Amino acid sequence: MSVQVVSAAAAAKVPEVELKDLSPPDPEPQLGMSAAAVAAMAPPAGAGDPEAPAPAPAPAPAPVLAPALAPAAERPPAPGPATLCPAAAPPAGKVPQASAMKRSDPHHQHQRHRDGGEALVSPDGTVTEAPRTVKKQIQFADQKQEFNKRPTKIGRRSLSRSISQSSTDSYSSAASYTDSSDDETSPRDKQQKNSKGSSDFCVKNIKQAEFGRREIEIAEQEMPALMALRKRAQGEKPLAGAKIVGCTHITAQTAVLMETLSALGAQCRWAACNIYSTLNEVAAALAESGFPVFAWKGESEDDFWWCIDRCVNVEGWQPNMILDDGGDLTHWIYKKYPNMFKKIKGIVEESVTGVHRLYQLSKAGKLCVPAMNVNDSVTKQKFDNLYCCRESILDGLKRTTDMMFGGKQVVVCGYGEVGKGCCAALKAMGSIVYVTEIDPICALQACMDGFRLVKLNEVIRQVDIVITCTGNKNVVTREHLDRMKNGCIVCNMGHSNTEIDVASLRTPELTWERVRSQVDHVIWPDGKRIVLLAEGRLLNLSCSTVPTFVLSITATTQALALIELYNAPEGRYKQDVYLLPKKMDEYVASLHLPTFDAHLTELTDEQAKYLGLNKNGPFKPNYYRY
Amino acid sequence: MSVPDAMPLPVAGVGVGVGEELKQAKEKEDAEKYSFMATVTKAPKKQIQFADDMQEFTKFPTKTGRRSLSRSISQSSTDSYSSAASYTDSSDDEVSPREKQQTNSKGSSNFCVKNIKQAEFGRREIEIAEQGLFYTGRESGNQRDLHDGVRQSMEKQKQVASAEDMSALISLRKRAQGEKPLAGAKIVGCTHITAQTAVLIETLCALGAQCRWSACNIYSTQNEVAAALAEAGVAVFAWKGESEDDFWWCIDRCVNMDGWQANMILDDGGDLTHWVYKKYPNVFKKIRGIVEESVTGVHRLYQLSKAGKLCVPAMNVNDSVTKQKFDNLYCCRESILDGLKRTTDVMFGGKQVVVCGYGEVGKGCCAALKALGAIVYITEIDPICALQACMDGFRVVKLNEVIRQVDVVITCTGNKNVVTREHLDRMKNSCIVCNMGHSNTEIDVTSLRTPELTWERVRSQVDHVIWPDGKRVVLLAEGRLLNLSCSTVPTFVLSITATTQALALIELYNAPEGRYKQDVYLLPKKMDEYVASLHLPSFDAHLTELTDDQAKYLGLNKNGPFKPNYYRY
Repeated sequence: MSVQVVSAAAAAKVPEVELKDLSPPDPEPQLGMSAAAVAAMAPPAGAGDPEAPAPAPAPAPAPVLAPALAPAAERPPAPGPATLCPAAAPPAGKVPQASAMKRSDPHHQHQRHRDGGEALVSPDGTVTEAPRTVKKQIQFADQKQEFNKRPTKIGRRSLSRSISQSSTDSYSSAASYTDSSDDETSPRDKQQKNSKGSSDFCVKNIKQAEFGRREIEIAEQEMPALMALRKRAQGEKPLAGAKIVGCTHITAQTAVLMETLSALGAQCRWAACNIYSTLNEVAAALAESGFPVFAWKGESEDDFWWCIDRCVNVEGWQPNMILDDGGDLTHWIYKKYPNMFKKIKGIVEESVTGVHRLYQLSKAGKLCVPAMNVNDSVTKQKFDNLYCCRESILDGLKRTTDMMFGGKQVVVCGYGEVGKGCCAALKAMGSIVYVTEIDPICALQACMDGFRLVKLNEVIRQVDIVITCTGNKNVVTREHLDRMKNGCIVCNMGHSNTEIDVASLRTPELTWERVRSQVDHVIWPDGKRIVLLAEGRLLNLSCSTVPTFVLSITATTQALALIELYNAPEGRYKQDVYLLPKKMDEYVASLHLPTFDAHLTELTDEQAKYLGLNKNGPFKPNYYRY
Repeated sequence: MSVPDAMPLPVAGVGVGVGEELKQAKEKEDAEKYSFMATVTKAPKKQIQFADDMQEFTKFPTKTGRRSLSRSISQSSTDSYSSAASYTDSSDDEVSPREKQQTNSKGSSNFCVKNIKQAEFGRREIEIAEQGLFYTGRESGNQRDLHDGVRQSMEKQKQVASAEDMSALISLRKRAQGEKPLAGAKIVGCTHITAQTAVLIETLCALGAQCRWSACNIYSTQNEVAAALAEAGVAVFAWKGESEDDFWWCIDRCVNMDGWQANMILDDGGDLTHWVYKKYPNVFKKIRGIVEESVTGVHRLYQLSKAGKLCVPAMNVNDSVTKQKFDNLYCCRESILDGLKRTTDVMFGGKQVVVCGYGEVGKGCCAALKALGAIVYITEIDPICALQACMDGFRVVKLNEVIRQVDVVITCTGNKNVVTREHLDRMKNSCIVCNMGHSNTEIDVTSLRTPELTWERVRSQVDHVIWPDGKRVVLLAEGRLLNLSCSTVPTFVLSITATTQALALIELYNAPEGRYKQDVYLLPKKMDEYVASLHLPSFDAHLTELTDDQAKYLGLNKNGPFKPNYYRY
């Protein structure tokens, strides 16, 4: 609950992240991977000597931090010891507080949980639609095939507590082949065995394994990076001996990740990080192929923790790695089995919320193993925010409103990564885009990119669309809504449902009219209508899809983080939260380049020497901004 | 000439290999320097002979001899002197300024400039810069009168049109003047001496500082501006065309002064710091901090710091977010088109262009070219940048895959020999080759200096290299930086830099004991944001303010900083 760190403290703490990022303890930290891992994974042609130091011409790492805060010109320096000795200050306030960095915090967990529930229960279109279409599928072979080809179009379930695109959205894909209503017995009460006789799992129905396997095979096609990783590293088995306990969305993409980890030598036990997101068929397929999976769709809160416990609490098996999404698994082990941390080599955390929890633990001095924050790696961040939102803003608006963008006046609140993506897409469609911003640097970027920077109330009367992506609350207030013109579309691309003050619209004088799924007309007494999308929740979660490509980036990042933590020599990582080493980040990107038929240029020896770089990277200093 | 290698900074603590590389890089920079000087000496002669030419040269001042002689790479650092005219021909007076006895109107002779009588012209330049009216004409003396009329009419136009460019510094001056945040500061500076710098210096003085200034480059000084500063009482030691000896003498006169000891250093290139470090190490006892602007200087500071020899805090303003974006992305986005147009008049629509490197500079070039309808290919070594290029809609290729078909080759890698003789051999007829990277190493120009190839200079900065079979390759600026040689740097970019420097000085000077140790720091985010916010009014941009409620929700101070330090923008 401590997001509301006073800014002085927050800023003073920020440097520590960089510190960690910039100066990992190892003398050749930027190499990131262990020698074995590098050897295993370096592209065959360019496999260089992993031991060679990478004397990047980058300046000394630590001092790039700017501990100071207040410009003396304007106001006196912020008082307090935090400012004076930033390095000593604990690092908890580091959660991205930036506009439009997808962010969440514990305040909203509860709320989000509830949101999710509503979405499921509420009779609004998408979710209930899914099973129906599925029945159709069974009847018509052709349609089924189409669904297999594009599984992401069916029912959306944005129920996660984590905000990262890839974290929340894995389950946007793939259909539920079997209606859950066919069986009311709790999976916990069932006795099930897979074909090999093992019963060390708990899924809805093991008989659905075949459907799930097909889903996994489809996902494999779309996740070439993980498959390539599987091939490249299989000989080396960089995860031999790793015992990974995982808690993520259980979807076909996750299954590909798990099977990759397994192919690399790891043993896995898995639970779901969200009570609704599990694909029962996939879970069954995993159980069938021998993974102890404890998850089904529609768990109760009690089931949820029971599943996690079953993953962790096994006789004769103790995990040595944790892969978490949301921090629940880490929390459970921390509460119930603190001794287990003695054997744990590291935690890999994927979501904003989980990362925030880790920083809090670290701040309190209670983090007793190294943790890796994969959420903030460059590649993942760009795909989760900039590239994903650049596409989904158009997709989301088209699907819900069928509007045409050319010549429309749009105001985008916030010019962070999400805002930049939205603006670029809308500009390309010929819209006239206005931007609002609070941060002068981002504001200047908007100006230089050719967008008019305004305050919202200056343009609110004239715009056709209002898009929020600030991560802030009450950016669009009732007052703004009152002044909008007839037919104005209001939607949110930011991180939660707080940006538009929707509650203020629930007043007697306004009429709500649901015109289609996710689209409400709010009608003023004078007949003016505002088109509110997804009730102010995330448009891209509610009305659009997350491409498998983005999920592939995330899964690859997770796998590499696990390999890195597991193989790191003693002492490289302390009991703290780290960013993914640059070299790994670059590797994630390089694994995805073949998709674009992109041909990366290699440095010649002479050029590498001139630049003072290792031929195989890392190519940039850590403070490089991309 | 400045000879960095004659007095190398201690490179202790750096691996031999790296040290050698750096040395080589520096030599390259020097080589570039010297090759520029050749053009400098040539150009004026032509001007004198042909009136027509001359006029064309004054219209496009940057086509004449360029003097990118600085050792620093930062755009704003190297380029201040692309602007503004020299009103008086230096040839009129062969006596070295060191020999002259000059006093300003207040009777002070604590300066050394070419000719104090030029102060009035210089003052006008400064005023123009202050108002954001920035006259880019480079005139020689005999054209002054002709241009005066034009200038005055332009003044009026531009005052209306762009009362923006240096306005950030002026508003800083206004905002902070009451508090005099630099009261007691004794700043010794070594930068290009141009009208923009003068605005900076006078701002610092207005904020309470005492300044002594010398030039960081032997050619870049605007004599009139130096005279105007001297007239206004600033101790300036600089003139255009200093000798190597003069250069160090000027710096020494700045530092070595009875009864006055500097407590702040503003440096561009690290020469001043080096001199103080070598000659007056005791001065560092009183120094509160160094502000360094150029890539080279920052690099030297990091070396010092690494060797444990840095005994005061230093601030690297080169890598602040705002400055970086303007120096690279925004500046190059405009200058690539400008540079190519001025030199070749090429039309971009439908042309196939390969851009080597997709860093900030490459991103800028690609965006501009794409906007004009060019078909853009990218080469990249870094997979993350390569993936960005893919997602931005550019084909990532290896150079030899497209070299036969492209019409334009642009390098911006910072690397060497990216375009080799082999590539050049395979290019199609009239392919344009140019460099936007940081030195002249990217295109292997020396490999073209062979007997079978004919070089033909078709206009200033444009060479046709002709193969035996008649194929021509159009080489721009002999492989040196296109945007320095054939384009201009907007005052707006210089304003960003100057504002950043001023704020860095204020920050270091006012920082409480212990905030900064003996190390190299980046400008605090809050200051960076402040630089940006000072420039927003020129776009008529209206920044939204957080409500108390929102600030609390985000856990931010209403006045910033708004982002964590690792935020990438």
